[in-house]
Amino acid sequence: MKKYTGKILFIAATVVLSIYFLWPTYQDYALHKTLVGLHGDDSLQYVDSHEGELRDARAKRIKLGLDLQGGMRVVLEVNVLKLIEDLAKNKDDAFALIMKEVREEMKKSDVSPVVLLRRKFEERQIRMSRYYRNLRDTNDDIFKYLDDEATKAIDRGMEIVRNRVDQYGVSEPSIQKLGGNRIIVELPGVTREAEVRTLLQGTALLEFKLLKEPEVTYRVMDAIDKLLAASGVTDSTDTATVAATKDTTRISTAEGEMTPEEFARKHPFFALAIINEKQFPGEAVVADENREKVRRILDREDVRRTIPNDMQFSWSAKPRLVSDGKKFFTLYPVKVAAELTGGVITKAQATLDPSFNQPIVRMEMNTEGSREWARITGANINKRIAIMLDNAVFSAPVVRNKITGGSSMIEGMDNLDEAKLLEIVLKAGALPAPVEIVEQRSVGPSLGEDSIRAGIISSSLAIVLTVLFMIVYYRMGGSVADVALIFCVLFVLAVLAAFQGTLTLPGIAGIILTLAVAVDANVLIYERIREEMAAGKTIRAAIDAGYEKAFTAIFDSNLTTFITGVILFQFGTGPIQGFALTLMIGIVASMFSAIFITRVIFNILTDKYGSRVSFG
Amino acid sequence: MRLFGRTNIDFMGQRKLWYTVSASVILIGLVSVFIKGVDYGIDFLGGTELIVHFNEPVGIGDVRTAMDAIGYGKAEIKTFGSTRDILVRTVEQGEGNTVGDRIRSGLAERFLQNPFIVLKEDKIGPKVGAELRRDALYAVIASLVAIWIYVGFRFKFIYGVGAVVALFHDVLVTLGIVSICDGLLNLEINQSMVAAFLTLVGLSVNDTVVIFDRIRENQKIFRSMPLKDLMNKSLNETLSRTIITSGTVFIVLAVLLMFGGEVNRGFAFALTIGIVTGTYSSIYIASAIALEWGMRGKGNAKLID
Repeated sequence: MKKYTGKILFIAATVVLSIYFLWPTYQDYALHKTLVGLHGDDSLQYVDSHEGELRDARAKRIKLGLDLQGGMRVVLEVNVLKLIEDLAKNKDDAFALIMKEVREEMKKSDVSPVVLLRRKFEERQIRMSRYYRNLRDTNDDIFKYLDDEATKAIDRGMEIVRNRVDQYGVSEPSIQKLGGNRIIVELPGVTREAEVRTLLQGTALLEFKLLKEPEVTYRVMDAIDKLLAASGVTDSTDTATVAATKDTTRISTAEGEMTPEEFARKHPFFALAIINEKQFPGEAVVADENREKVRRILDREDVRRTIPNDMQFSWSAKPRLVSDGKKFFTLYPVKVAAELTGGVITKAQATLDPSFNQPIVRMEMNTEGSREWARITGANINKRIAIMLDNAVFSAPVVRNKITGGSSMIEGMDNLDEAKLLEIVLKAGALPAPVEIVEQRSVGPSLGEDSIRAGIISSSLAIVLTVLFMIVYYRMGGSVADVALIFCVLFVLAVLAAFQGTLTLPGIAGIILTLAVAVDANVLIYERIREEMAAGKTIRAAIDAGYEKAFTAIFDSNLTTFITGVILFQFGTGPIQGFALTLMIGIVASMFSAIFITRVIFNILTDKYGSRVSFG
Repeated sequence: MRLFGRTNIDFMGQRKLWYTVSASVILIGLVSVFIKGVDYGIDFLGGTELIVHFNEPVGIGDVRTAMDAIGYGKAEIKTFGSTRDILVRTVEQGEGNTVGDRIRSGLAERFLQNPFIVLKEDKIGPKVGAELRRDALYAVIASLVAIWIYVGFRFKFIYGVGAVVALFHDVLVTLGIVSICDGLLNLEINQSMVAAFLTLVGLSVNDTVVIFDRIRENQKIFRSMPLKDLMNKSLNETLSRTIITSGTVFIVLAVLLMFGGEVNRGFAFALTIGIVTGTYSSIYIASAIALEWGMRGKGNAKLID
């Protein structure tokens, strides 16, 4: 026994180390169990007094994958092309055409848009400096500049996403860059998908734009209306909507009463975009179901030409009024150029407006912004300024007086949660380029729990069956192998905890498979030992020969399986990687326990019991 | 306890018969793949997939009517483990989450009396789907190449070839059987299934290498034994271990198949098939190929370590 002290100590050390790494997981489980049992003040007290412990345990426990915890996984792709488009100046039709081609090509290939853009320009022999930076810059310079901007945008985008996620308050979020322009965001335990999507995707472009005067607006709308009537556009519109407006539109009173159909034929635009000078001067309301039609109308080439260059129609972010249970959106005529943008905002705070008990977001600006804001408000008293976020108008209040303090507010949200979302998004900053969700997976918590249960049941059953089999078939040798198996599983879990790896449902399958691999190693050794004993060797010699000869087989076969694990880890995502990870760790752990640990045990046993050690 | 005493089965003598069996199985499988096709998950097709759990059991017909109403009549609809759980999958693409939202509102409208919760929702953009397909293919090719190199290096080149052909065989047979059974068992080709294939490649070669190792060892001892007899001897000697290990893995996988949950089902099924063909192919494909090659030459091909 004494000659094995070194080895025994070594094994003991690994066990102690494993328990050390696994302890937080147990602690986390135990603490939460206690917490669930307490109520009210008791539980608050408990949390207070054990705050450090709770936090540590949570941080160091084995991480559960999203498929076991429930949560969302979102892959964002940064729209670098839009960024490049925005950076250009003097954009003309030729530029628009090139952009269109690049956009088409990007759908099929993985090449960076900057590279594609350059290719297109060179194909047409147009110098990039016509649209970017200075005329003196070469294509190489501009290429490098655009490439830099793109990389910076992606990094900045990741920062902002991280900020937003942090503020949103997710426990153990994971945000990583993937490839050239993608960001993976994993949010365990998050179930409010719509919120998360807004949180991640909203560019948060805040703009203050002046509204055009009512007279100009009516003139433009009239022109559109006449244009549509002339080209014979009639749309079957909701007669109820039209009937309700007949007595309030200017045009109808001038020409006398009409039936709804006649009205729709003569005034196709106003039938959809309803004007009410007294209630909503200078804007139009559109029923929810007609929004798409109006959008299409406004998108038409001929219509766009009638709208002055400095004007655009923007939609309200929310439905403005509900009449007879129908929702109406407002169409605002705003100036294209923004007076002020969100870059000047330093503080944002979601709160309830005391006078109306409505959720609002108060904002404060920096010195420069405050100065500009004072100038703008001072010069536009009694005019309206639209407060827009991501091109949707939240409100368009009338400027009552000059605002010098640099404060303003956004109103018009449905509830405080929405206001808080806006606050987060404003504080974290505007994304430099729009992001698109290219992949999204969400697992509800109940499926997660089911998966955990299935995992525990199947792995326990597998372990029990294997253990029983080994004892029955290999007798004492089998029990030793079983001890090694337990060590093996312990080590796998400990390594997972130590390296903060993630355990997924396929990962549990990986552990189960590891059991099989571990058993295989033992079977190889024991079959060999049996052979050697049958050939006449003494128990000790047989054991020695068995281990020695079986080793190459174990090593080669395990290594090839390990290689497959590595490849799986490289090419897989999420849960699959979890599987590859546990498989690889398991193979190593199984070799250690099946070869080293069992050997030590056998050495001790044969010293003590000699030939009574049986292998079935 | 012993299941196998000293056996003396003439494995290699019957190999021609088994070539035919393998070829037929693969052929049937391929026919199924080409005619029936395989059921791709959205991982590779792109699209949106929802798994919802209703309070009361629902009929697939009703769900289809609901989907027709919102324009997704061609969506794939199946039950997911019980009559209360429905899987809806469509390859339609839309801005952000519009497809998922539409499916949800379509179901809510139709099943007003039967509330549901969403267990799982996945959306894969078209480019991502194509990328996952490509990555999966690369992974399979890379592992075959890696194994070819390693086995060819540790044993002799022809053994590397034998091992890889055996792996091809295993993948094709499993793919064929998955294609045949995909209706019965709700199997689909997604990332999880590809992982199963890669794992079965790993386990199959595991088995093959053990046999090759024994052949290599015996060659060093019995230098003058004819190759066919040598192989038979090695196969018989490793038979006990082969059956026990494969048996253990098989039982463990059966447990996974039955108790591992719906999510792991496809994975466990593919692996179970894989273990069976993996064991078989180590004998009748990998070793047999090495034998054929050896016998073409001098009848006594040597293995280099």
